[in-house]
Amino acid sequence: MDYDALVVGSGIGGMESALKLGDMGYKVLVVEKEASIGGKMILLSKVFPTLDCASCISTPKMAATIHHPNIKVLTYAEVERIEREPSGRFHATIRKNPRFVDEDACTGCQQCEMACTVAVPDQFNSDLVARRAAYIAFPQAVPKKAVVDRPGTSPCTFTCPAGIKAHGYVSLTRSGEYEKAFNLILETTPLVGSLGRACFAPCEEECSRGSLEGPLPIRRIKRFVADTHYASGRPVGVQPQADQGKRIAIVGSGPAGLTAAWQLRLMGYGVKVFEAAPVPGGALALTIPAYRLPGDVVAQDVQNLRDIGVEIEVGHRVDDLEALHASGFDAVLVATGTPRSGRLGVAGEELHGVLPSLRFLEDTKLGRAGSLSGRHVVVVGGGNVAIDAARSARRLGATVEQVCLEQRREMPAFDWEIDEAIAEGVVLHDGWGVASVLGEGGVSGIALKRCTQVFDESGRFSPAYDETVRRELACDALIVAIGMGPDTEAFGRTLQLQRNRTVAVDMQTLQSSVPYIFACGDVVTGATMITQAVGSGRRAAYMIDRFLRGEDFEADTFDARLPKVEPADVLRRQKSHSRKDPLLSGKESLAEPTDFHELEAPLTEEEAHYSAGRCLDCGVCSECHECVNTCPADAIHLDMRPETIEAEVGTVIVSTGFKLFPADLKPQYGYGRFKNVITGMQMDRLLAPTRPYNKVLRPGDGRIPDRIAYVMCTGSRDETVGNPLCSKICCMYSIKQNQLIMGNLPTADVTVFTIDVRTAGKGYDEFYVQSKAMGVNFIKGRISEIRELQNGNLIVRYESIEDGGGAREEEFDLVVLAVGVQPNLDTRRLFAGDELSHDAYYYVEETDEDLSPGETSIKGVFVAGAASGAKDIPESILHAGAAVAQAAAYIEETRVSV
Amino acid sequence: MNRRKIGVYVCHCGGNISDYVDVEKVVDAVKGEEDVVVARTAMFTCSDATQQEIYDDIRELGLDGLVVASCSPKLHTFTFRGVAKRAGLNPFQYTQVNVREQCSWAHTDDRQGATEKAVRLVRAGIARTRLLRPLEPTVVETVPKTLVIGAGIAGLRAAIGLADIGLSVVVVEREAEVGGWVKDFGPMYPRDKEGHELVRQLEAKVRQRENIALFTSAEVVRKAGSFGDYVVDIKTHGKSAMTMQIHVGSIIVATGFDTYRPEEGEYGYGIDGVVTLPEYKKMLDAAEGPLAYHGRPVKDVAYIYCVGSRQGDAGPHQYCSRFCCSAAVHSALELYSRDPSARQFHLYRDMRTYGRYELMYRESREKGSTYLKFAEDEPPAVQKGADGRLVVTIRDQLTGQKEVRIPADLVVLVTGMVPRENDGLVGALKLPVGRDGFFNEIHPKLRPVETVVDGVTICGACQFPKNASESVASGLAAVTQSAAMLKQGRAELDPQVASVDPGLCTDCGVCYETCPYDAIRPKEEPEGRRVAVIDPATCKGCGGCAPVCPERAINLEGYTQAEIKAMIEGLAREVV
Repeated sequence: MDYDALVVGSGIGGMESALKLGDMGYKVLVVEKEASIGGKMILLSKVFPTLDCASCISTPKMAATIHHPNIKVLTYAEVERIEREPSGRFHATIRKNPRFVDEDACTGCQQCEMACTVAVPDQFNSDLVARRAAYIAFPQAVPKKAVVDRPGTSPCTFTCPAGIKAHGYVSLTRSGEYEKAFNLILETTPLVGSLGRACFAPCEEECSRGSLEGPLPIRRIKRFVADTHYASGRPVGVQPQADQGKRIAIVGSGPAGLTAAWQLRLMGYGVKVFEAAPVPGGALALTIPAYRLPGDVVAQDVQNLRDIGVEIEVGHRVDDLEALHASGFDAVLVATGTPRSGRLGVAGEELHGVLPSLRFLEDTKLGRAGSLSGRHVVVVGGGNVAIDAARSARRLGATVEQVCLEQRREMPAFDWEIDEAIAEGVVLHDGWGVASVLGEGGVSGIALKRCTQVFDESGRFSPAYDETVRRELACDALIVAIGMGPDTEAFGRTLQLQRNRTVAVDMQTLQSSVPYIFACGDVVTGATMITQAVGSGRRAAYMIDRFLRGEDFEADTFDARLPKVEPADVLRRQKSHSRKDPLLSGKESLAEPTDFHELEAPLTEEEAHYSAGRCLDCGVCSECHECVNTCPADAIHLDMRPETIEAEVGTVIVSTGFKLFPADLKPQYGYGRFKNVITGMQMDRLLAPTRPYNKVLRPGDGRIPDRIAYVMCTGSRDETVGNPLCSKICCMYSIKQNQLIMGNLPTADVTVFTIDVRTAGKGYDEFYVQSKAMGVNFIKGRISEIRELQNGNLIVRYESIEDGGGAREEEFDLVVLAVGVQPNLDTRRLFAGDELSHDAYYYVEETDEDLSPGETSIKGVFVAGAASGAKDIPESILHAGAAVAQAAAYIEETRVSV
Repeated sequence: MNRRKIGVYVCHCGGNISDYVDVEKVVDAVKGEEDVVVARTAMFTCSDATQQEIYDDIRELGLDGLVVASCSPKLHTFTFRGVAKRAGLNPFQYTQVNVREQCSWAHTDDRQGATEKAVRLVRAGIARTRLLRPLEPTVVETVPKTLVIGAGIAGLRAAIGLADIGLSVVVVEREAEVGGWVKDFGPMYPRDKEGHELVRQLEAKVRQRENIALFTSAEVVRKAGSFGDYVVDIKTHGKSAMTMQIHVGSIIVATGFDTYRPEEGEYGYGIDGVVTLPEYKKMLDAAEGPLAYHGRPVKDVAYIYCVGSRQGDAGPHQYCSRFCCSAAVHSALELYSRDPSARQFHLYRDMRTYGRYELMYRESREKGSTYLKFAEDEPPAVQKGADGRLVVTIRDQLTGQKEVRIPADLVVLVTGMVPRENDGLVGALKLPVGRDGFFNEIHPKLRPVETVVDGVTICGACQFPKNASESVASGLAAVTQSAAMLKQGRAELDPQVASVDPGLCTDCGVCYETCPYDAIRPKEEPEGRRVAVIDPATCKGCGGCAPVCPERAINLEGYTQAEIKAMIEGLAREVV
């Protein structure tokens, strides 16, 4: 057997159970869900009625637990399942959640906390203040080790096909760390400026703000970061690793090739890029029009590569891959993209004045295209390239009509691109196919036929026409933009190609039929978006590195993202987010475009900062890597993943404690809407030695409250919320707070609205009498409603029973809701098979409360503390003692019987 | 004298200390003291992180003395002894200086004064530490046997619990029968189990277990020895009267409670038909059908709560007796089960049916009980009416202070629990008694069954009013506490005890009478002299003997004459 006992939960009941079993000589395993042991007690200010400082009496228990020779503590771990074995022992499956911090290495120095760029509500301060994503639970935490809070990957980052830490650079921008944001993007790709303009930004589609006021302008923030860096003239802030002694040739300098080159160079390989065109950048430099992506921006991005030692040779077309290998490259990467425009395949296509779209765009971007002033151009195609061509033709002075097979709503081009084209004067004819190109010698027009269907039922491209419906358009030039394909004939000698002439590779490893040749980007997939090509280039680099190191591809750890967090969970956590409207698009709209100047205005620093500040920090950790870079002990490892631990144990003590009533379930009290209505736990935090504001003040405006009201039985003795039970602890904790408030704010008036004052315990009633003597005013009467005044004060409407009855109203500065106890439903899924019985109120049922308190429906399983119903601290200790006595007897009994 | 290496740690205690004492200044003032090699502040010295820091300092700097200036030694002496021990420093070369209770909390109005006082206190602690020598605890083998005093429901259950863990048990009950109050009860809340049936089950189990010896009509008359090996004299009464001596490792006290007896005339007590809750419960348990009193049917019952409890100026009992609200409501339900048409009136101050017992309160209202609330200073009055029936008059707080007259066939005074007279036992065990007359635990929050007497625990209603299941829970908690001590087989006794220098002792006899623990006895020396000798296992280190010795022959380890003198010098030196 691994352990004599398993204790689930390490609040005061769990610690007491573990310590006593340990003292008896039994081996104990404690499993705690949170990052520190201690439960709720350690978070309290003082305890009633002794007014001992809760920290001071909890910390020795915590230290004793963690240092006990017979106790093993697992924090940040959850019991997934416990099964009772025929022997009477138990098999426990425990999930150790990743802290993303090496517990042995972490010294608790809090440098990560200082460096972290994310702030979320601090659950250990009842959400009164914020904490960091990298944090230590609270000052007295045991173990005092950091944890990086990563419930999952933020949707923006998760979605990015390139694998850029979108949330990361947004949070760094919010912190004013623009250079670090730039460097974070450089971890993925050098094409920061280009992506900041020409990426289609799927991240923004996923942004959780999208369901509120509108998404963050994530792409434009990236552009801001890039522009800021380039304007500063700073050298590129990353250095390649030590030379690996191997060289790699990359054929093609589009986004895929350049990204792969960048990654491989950073890993320490010698990298040379061969580009057939006169400038590097592929589609970025050649075909994306300058009004969307200026050539100098691409050049800046390309300079990043040169700065770290990537060689780029332009005007060098490679046809013989084997020869390249033979010339001294250990691996070759083909990233030549899809440079060939598709053909119409109709009569007249050979006429003068019929232009392939890519050649037209390339000539235009490189300044080789002449003016089209006074000319009439027809563009064929419904995709983004067609739109680019149409808008470019407008800028060269032409009038433009655009023809496409699809209905407008089916067009593959982005909606906003189509809108902008139309706004610029492009006349769109949707739903037409090309019957033939008209003209003699030169093109004079185009004959169209009605397209009745573009895609068949299964969604495949399968156009059908009504040949009887025809029309003709006259034109001086025809630009054909109906798809792109690879230029790979020359490689066919060496490599296996697909029927569509893309290079055949293992999609996982991107390795071709020749081991040392890899291929990535559009030459593998067919035409895609830039950001997808970047992702493919990054994968290729990762795989080539594994290949050259002789590591197997089976253990593919390339994509180590955590699952995406759910926006609903985000909005639940970030309850107090305020409304922040998005910026306007910042794009110029021109009816008569005359040149290729960039249309989209950059964000100002103020706008970038404001926009980044709208981020809801969905995945909590933004993966900005500040903590990783800061940690002096190199203790932070974001690639940690959950571990499963199996243990055989002799007995189980369930000490999972309780939850507090969520006060927003009483909407008439206004909790969550009125800032100066707080819960009892929040008041305890305001009074605690580690209090967030170092003063008792009201959260709405920081004023020191003079008139404080307590609403007892919030969520207890209340059929309307389904809980008729009394929570036992609230009267006493409120009276404790009353006395502490009297000490902190001697002039404050405290009024307590009660049903009954339940101070039934040793020294408890005397404590109540003492608080009355100190001036606390107790009023028997329930609250029907709380209203908020303009100045944040609150009107409490109550029934004044002892004073003749009737409804009264009174004004307060601060209202404290004495929230009650609720069951912790985690207990319901602990046990497989033998079901752990729960009572009608979902607490763990004690099957023989009279003679065997703590005994449950499963033999050998005991419950200790508030998991079986509301208990104060001494009752929890006694109850734990009872559970331990019986658990020890059970261990002895099963030991004898084996 | 050899140089010492002392580490000093001054605690912020969150803000408990540093709000009123400038802790940085204290550190500055003492870091130059002789032999101090490290002095630091800490947010929470008791936190695991600071413990680790102290541990590292002890190991790396080779500290041979430790001074922690934080809170009362009652809280953390064992915490820091533990740190010292883990790090390899003798735990008795550490001094706890109390700059919280004795300084910051006492002088919230004078930051400078509090800071100066803290400096002096810390200097005294350093001075003492410089003289401390390593001590080894006295180790005693523990006897794997526990004495349970009282065979009520808590004591019986505790005895079974101990036996089930493998410890031997001796149960001593003063009465001729076991079961205490519960053996006479019918249905009890919360699950309507019959009290006598529960006792029968427990008694059967006690008799089944070979490692439990049960003595009824028996009393504990004397206790000697120390934790781990107490020597207890037990006297039995009746036919087989005798005295015997047993050795036990620990003692569980479960002597229960007494019930409050109202004064004649208190709420009409003495008038026929005015009964206490236990009397009423007995009537209910005995009744077969609807309740009758003196042959007359009982249809109207008035309950007056808080009789003998929460007395304020009216009596000695200030405490709330906890169990009575629920017990009275349960009795009302018991009456409804016999006679659903009974009319029941509850005259209360606060209904304290805490936790799940609220459901009984709800049920009683659903079944027709009427609740009326009276003010502390205006209690209800009970009189005999002209028709011979009882009338209770109350000014009802719930209906606009209306005076309500309630005719009743029976008035039940809901009486609470009071501490049981137990002077003999208190004397024999040296048990501490609280202001409310119940036995006192060592810490009401975290150590609710332990007492200041090592190895002696309290449980059940002798500690404070409890219902049966709460008493059983505390009984089992006492089992756990005993077992946690005895299962280790050995116990370490604090070596900070007094000793006599035989060369100086003149056998004047003053110290014999001073010792509250009978630890000092005369002993014949070889050359015919007689000197006082202190048994280190019995001595509690209270220090009572040292100052009375006219020859200064007695020194308390850890507080020797030299150490105290050094501390005084440390305290007296001016703070600049």
